[in-house]
Amino acid sequence: MEDLKARGDQEVNMDHIKLSMPNKPEFVGIIRLTASAIASRIGFNIDDIDDIKVAIGEACTNAIRHGCEKTNDTYDIEFFAYEDRMDIQITDTGKGLASLNIKQPKAEDLREGGLGLFIIKTLMDDVEVITSEGKGTIIRMTKKLGVD
Amino acid sequence: MALKVDKSFNEVKGVWVLKLHGEIDIYTAPKFKETLLNVIEARESDIIIDGENLEYIDSTGLGVLISGLKKLKETNKNITIINLRPNISKLFEITGLNKVFIVKGV
Repeated sequence: MEDLKARGDQEVNMDHIKLSMPNKPEFVGIIRLTASAIASRIGFNIDDIDDIKVAIGEACTNAIRHGCEKTNDTYDIEFFAYEDRMDIQITDTGKGLASLNIKQPKAEDLREGGLGLFIIKTLMDDVEVITSEGKGTIIRMTKKLGVD
Repeated sequence: MALKVDKSFNEVKGVWVLKLHGEIDIYTAPKFKETLLNVIEARESDIIIDGENLEYIDSTGLGVLISGLKKLKETNKNITIINLRPNISKLFEITGLNKVFIVKGV
């Protein structure tokens, strides 16, 4: 009993990596590479790493397009690397998202935008989007190791 | 990472063939859009997009493809996408775009 309790109180090992990025499209590739390297360290397979790369690419695109307004605005990316999962949080301080209405895109109603959040929700295991007008948006997402 | 687009017009079949090399993301999508719309303006014909060497695409790239398709549909032309890698093919499936474009072969 005491052993179990001791284990329960033990702090879970987690690596926290935090980046602040300029509001510029040419840097999104660096974030994808970083995410891919961290995911690889945790032990994700290539398919999962591809999912993570697309999801984080979408979240960064979102932060640049809808979050950052001024030329030198920045947005933050935080990685929380656990033994069995990876949490990623993307935070911008922009105007907030107009709509969180995430629907499966329809073939007869094709639009050039609005696919990003849908793609993130499909590729990741848990996704949370917190947006408030004038304050910005936080996208939190989790990919678990060994879950389809 | 950059994007390179090799474009050629196949006179026999009367189609544009665009070979994509690299990544289409928020950085490279504007250039891809320009190339695609230029091609359509030069000659309104069907387009074959060869994705054999396309390593990454996200919603920004898919958006460009959709805008190209919309333009082509005005003259009843179409976009066929071939040789997609499995990770990219998956994106077309989850977004339903595999039913909007003609997606062939892996």
